[in-house]
Amino acid sequence: MVDNIGSYSCQKYNFAGASSASGEDGIMKEQDRLLPIANVGRIMKQILPPNAKISKEAKETMQECVSEFISFVTGEASDKCHKEKRKTVNGDDICWALATLGFDDYAEPLKREILS
Amino acid sequence: MRQAGTYSAILWGGLSGRRGGPHCLPLARIKKIMKKSGDDVKMISREAPIVFSKACELFIEELTQRSWMVTMQGKRRTLLKEDVASAVIATDIFDFLVNLVANNSCNSMDNPDQEINIRSKLI
Repeated sequence: MVDNIGSYSCQKYNFAGASSASGEDGIMKEQDRLLPIANVGRIMKQILPPNAKISKEAKETMQECVSEFISFVTGEASDKCHKEKRKTVNGDDICWALATLGFDDYAEPLKREILS
Repeated sequence: MRQAGTYSAILWGGLSGRRGGPHCLPLARIKKIMKKSGDDVKMISREAPIVFSKACELFIEELTQRSWMVTMQGKRRTLLKEDVASAVIATDIFDFLVNLVANNSCNSMDNPDQEINIRSKLI
């Protein structure tokens, strides 16, 4: 009985299945899972008035939010592909997922930008 | 062969003129983050990270603008991470970020009462 519980615990916390981008026991290095703070900061600065300041922590929080956004939308797009028995996630799927998740406002500017 | 969808046609039509052009965000990094989102994300088309590059820009712009409104309400000129957290909590489509910003707030908080306030907002 005790042995079963022990082995269950081991299986529960086994991350060996997850592929690793850069070693370190399946944990992705910071620079791999976030977009560069300089790029993120620049986009933030461009949308704000000239006298606005942005704290470093705010930029870091935004980095985390963007990565979560990418994962969230990709997950939805990937589910759609899976259901339709397709292997490749394409631009259509991303646009569809954005609309499904409430980001339909992005569709028009996306189309305009891509066509320009 | 699958017929190209509306967006694929638009994308390829537009991209042929912009091939190799500068993007705001690094496409390889976006692709890495996409792959990490799930085990079943195996193959990603060439234009998907490009679509995301623009979508992320729009996302950052929207969240930044909403955060800035909170900053101004506080009569400040420096956008803080707490302003980002407030904007997330106040916006329905950013619900998926609620746990992320709550974790960030809790880690740096000295006052346990503040923690209770934020948690009660999330319920």
